[in-house]
Amino acid sequence: MTSLTTFYLSRLIGCKLFDARENVLGIILDVYVQLPMSNTDINKAQRPKIVAFYIKQGNKQLNVTLTNVQIVKFNTRYKVQCQAMTELPAELLNHTFLLKETILDKQIVDINGRKLVRVNDVRMVALSSGAFVVAADVGLEGLVRRIGIYKFLRTALHLFGAKIPSKFILWDDVEAIDFSSLNIKLNTPFTKLNTLHPSDLADIIEELGKDSKTSVFSSLDEETAADVLEELEAKEQVQIIESLSIEKAADVLEKMPADEAADLMENLEEERAQQLLKEMEPEASEEVRDLLEYPNSLVGSLMTTDILTFKETQTIADVIAYIQQQQPEMAELYTLFVVDEQNRLVGTFTMRDLLVSSLNKPLKDIMIDNPHQIHDYERLDSLSEIISKYNLLGVPVTNENEELEGMVIIDDVVDDLLGKRRTM
Amino acid sequence: MSKTNRKSFWKSIAIFLAILGPGIITGSVDNDAGGITTYSVAGALYGNQLIWTLIPSFIVLFIVQEMNARMGIVTGKGLATLIRENAGVKVTFFIFMGLLIADIGNTTTEFAGVAGSLEVFGISKYIAVPLVGLVVWILVVKGNYTLAERIFLIFSASLLVYIVSAIMGHPDWRTIGHAIIKPQNELNGKSLTMILGIVGTTIAPWMQFYMQSSVIEKKLKISQYNYVLVDILVGCIATVTVAFFIMIACASTLHEQHITINDAKDAALALKPLAGEFASQVFAFGLFIASVFSAVILPLATAFYVSEAFGFEAGIDKKWDEAPEFYVLYTGILILAIIIILMPNAPLIGISLWTQVINAILLPVILVSMILLVNKSKLMGEYTNKPIVNVIGWITVVVLVSMSLILLVTPFL
Repeated sequence: MTSLTTFYLSRLIGCKLFDARENVLGIILDVYVQLPMSNTDINKAQRPKIVAFYIKQGNKQLNVTLTNVQIVKFNTRYKVQCQAMTELPAELLNHTFLLKETILDKQIVDINGRKLVRVNDVRMVALSSGAFVVAADVGLEGLVRRIGIYKFLRTALHLFGAKIPSKFILWDDVEAIDFSSLNIKLNTPFTKLNTLHPSDLADIIEELGKDSKTSVFSSLDEETAADVLEELEAKEQVQIIESLSIEKAADVLEKMPADEAADLMENLEEERAQQLLKEMEPEASEEVRDLLEYPNSLVGSLMTTDILTFKETQTIADVIAYIQQQQPEMAELYTLFVVDEQNRLVGTFTMRDLLVSSLNKPLKDIMIDNPHQIHDYERLDSLSEIISKYNLLGVPVTNENEELEGMVIIDDVVDDLLGKRRTM
Repeated sequence: MSKTNRKSFWKSIAIFLAILGPGIITGSVDNDAGGITTYSVAGALYGNQLIWTLIPSFIVLFIVQEMNARMGIVTGKGLATLIRENAGVKVTFFIFMGLLIADIGNTTTEFAGVAGSLEVFGISKYIAVPLVGLVVWILVVKGNYTLAERIFLIFSASLLVYIVSAIMGHPDWRTIGHAIIKPQNELNGKSLTMILGIVGTTIAPWMQFYMQSSVIEKKLKISQYNYVLVDILVGCIATVTVAFFIMIACASTLHEQHITINDAKDAALALKPLAGEFASQVFAFGLFIASVFSAVILPLATAFYVSEAFGFEAGIDKKWDEAPEFYVLYTGILILAIIIILMPNAPLIGISLWTQVINAILLPVILVSMILLVNKSKLMGEYTNKPIVNVIGWITVVVLVSMSLILLVTPFL
C-alpha cells in the first residue's frame, strides 16, 4: 500500500471510491479538469487541474467534489479515498472538461512534432495543491498497458534485452481538439495552434473529423486562416468554405491572393461562389472575377494580380519607403515592375537590386529593359521552361496591348508541375 | 424535356460520375479470389439451388454499405477511428488483431488466385506470384490514389467477363428462375457452411473500413447523399450480378456433369472440355483481374486501418521513416502471403478455412459496433438509423451469429 504521486488516468477510471471508513461511495467514471483561466503567456506551464469527479453511485451519475483525496496503489489496482464528498450542480462546471471523454483515445496535436497523435493514456501527478495533468502518453507502452498485456510483453521482450518504447508529450506541447461533446467555452481556443506553420496546420486539419475541422479552422485569425486555406487540397478547401458562414468565408477569401481565391471558387457551386463574391470587398472580388474568366490551361489562370509597380523616374529610396508602408506578402516581392503611363511593361528589377544599389538611383538605371514576358492567353506549357531557363522567381504577364496584368510566380508553377498532392 | 430540365439532367449525370467510385469499387473488391472460389464451388456442388442466397446477401450488403457511407459523410472520420474513440482499446485491439490475421490469410488467397489463374495460361507460379507482388507494391508505394481509383474502375468493369463465361455454358434459364423463386435445398451442416460462406464472402469485415474511408477521401457531402445511394446500389447490383453469373457458369456445366472442384482454378480448367477453351480462358482472366485487384487494396487497407486504430502515422504520401509501422505492416502482409503461396505443399485449404472462420467471428463484432455507432446521436446528429435499418441490421447479426454457432457445434452432434 503506497500513496501515489504520479498515476495514470486509465487506471483511475473504474476505480472504487471509498470514504475514510472504507465505505464504497461509488465508481469513478471520469474527472473534470479546469484549464488555467489566464492565458497571457502561452509558454508558461499551464497544467489542467482536477476540480471534480464524475462518479456512478448505484444507477445514477453524479458530479462531486472530494476533500483530502488520496490515491492508493495496492497490487496493480488503484483505490481512491477521501474525507468527504459533496454533490456539485452542473452550472459550477463551466470552463471545465471531462478528461477521459475529451482526451483519452482521441487525437491531439503534438505542437513540437507538428502532427496529430492518438492519446493512449494521460499521466498525472498528485501534489499538495491538487492533482494535475502532466503529459499525454502516446507511445506503445501506454497502448499495451491499456490492453493489459504490459507485464507479459515486458517479460517477453526482456529475454531479448529489448524494452517497450514509450513516448510522452508534455501538456504544454499539446493542443486538444475534440471538444465536440462539451458545452465548454474556451475563452481562446487552440492558441497553441497559431504557433505552427500554415502548411503543418493544413496537414493537421486535413486529417481531422468534420466537426473538429470546422471548429479548429474557425478559431484561426483571418490571416492564418487564409494561409492555411491556400495550402489545402481543392476538395478540402471546398469542404471548409462550405462549413463556414458566408461572412467569415468572404473575410478569409479577401485575405488570400486573388489567384488562389479564384482557383478555389472555380470548385465551388456557382450559387455559393456568387454569394461570396457579393459579400467580399468590391476591390477584392473584382480581381477574383477577372481571374475567373481565364480557362484552366492558360497562363492567366495561374497568374497572381498582386504585384508592385513603379515608374522609371522613382528612386530606390522611394521603392523601399513604399514597400515598408505597404507590408506586402513575400510572393509580391519576387519580381518588381516598372511601367509607363499606359501601364505598359518597361522593365523589371529584383530585391537584390534594391539591396545593393545606392538609395538615390532612379529605377531606369537598375532595371532590366525588355524583360521576358508572357501573354495571359498563352498556354501554360512554356512557363516552366522560361522560369528555369532565365532563373526567374516571377514572370511578367501582359495582355495583347502590352499592358501589365500580373505575374506568374515560381511557387504556382512548381505546384502545377507536381500536380495534386498525393493522398491515400 | 425542356431545356432547363435537360441541363439539370446532364448536370446530375456529371455530379454522379464525379461521385461514382466508392460503392462500385467496394462491391467489386468483394468478388475477390476467395469470393470467386466460393461461388464456383457453390455452383458446382449445388447447381442452381443456392442462387437465392444472393438476395439476402444483396440486402445485407446494401444496408451495411449505406451505414458506412452515412457515417463517413456525417462524421468525416474513419470507422477504425470511431471504434477506437467509442469502444475503447480492448475491443479495438481484438478487432484489429483479428483483422490483421484474417487479412494475411485473405491476401494469401488472392495470390493463390493469381497463381491459379496464370497456371491456366501456362505460367509458373514461381514467376507469376513474385512478379505480381512486386508490381502491386510499386503501384501502391509510387502511385497515387486518383490514378489507382481509375484503374480500379476499369478492373471493376472487366469483371463482367463472367457473363460471357456463363452464357457459353448454355444455361437453362427456366430452371434458374425456378430455383430463385422456389429454393429447394436441404439444410444440413454442409449446405449451411456454403450459405454462410456466400454471405460471408460478400460482406468481408475489412470492406466496411474501406467503404467508409473512400467516402471520406471523396469529401462527399450530405447533400450528395442520393448520388451516393445510387453509387452503392450500382455497386451492390454489380457484385451480385458477377456472383450470379459465376454460379451459373459452374452450375450449368460442372454440376450437370457431376464434376467436383476445390477452387476457382479447377473451375476454369473444368470448363475447357464443356464450354470451350475460350470460356475457360475468360474465366481464368476474370479470376486473375479480381485477384490482383484485391491484392492491391487488401494489404494496403489493412495496414492503414490498423495504423489508424493504434495511432501510428499512415499513408502512402508519407516517407518510410515517417510512417515505419504502416510500411512494415503493408510490406509484411504482402511478403508473408507470397512466401506462404510459394511454399511447396502449402496448406491452402486450411488457410482459407481458418480465414473464413476468423471473418465469420469478426463480422458480427464489427456490425454490432457499427450499428451502435450509427445510432449515437452525439456522433450522427439527425442522421441516425431509421428503425427499419436497425431491424434488418440486428436480424443480420443474429442470423450470422447463430449460423456460425450452429456450424461450430454440428461436428459434435
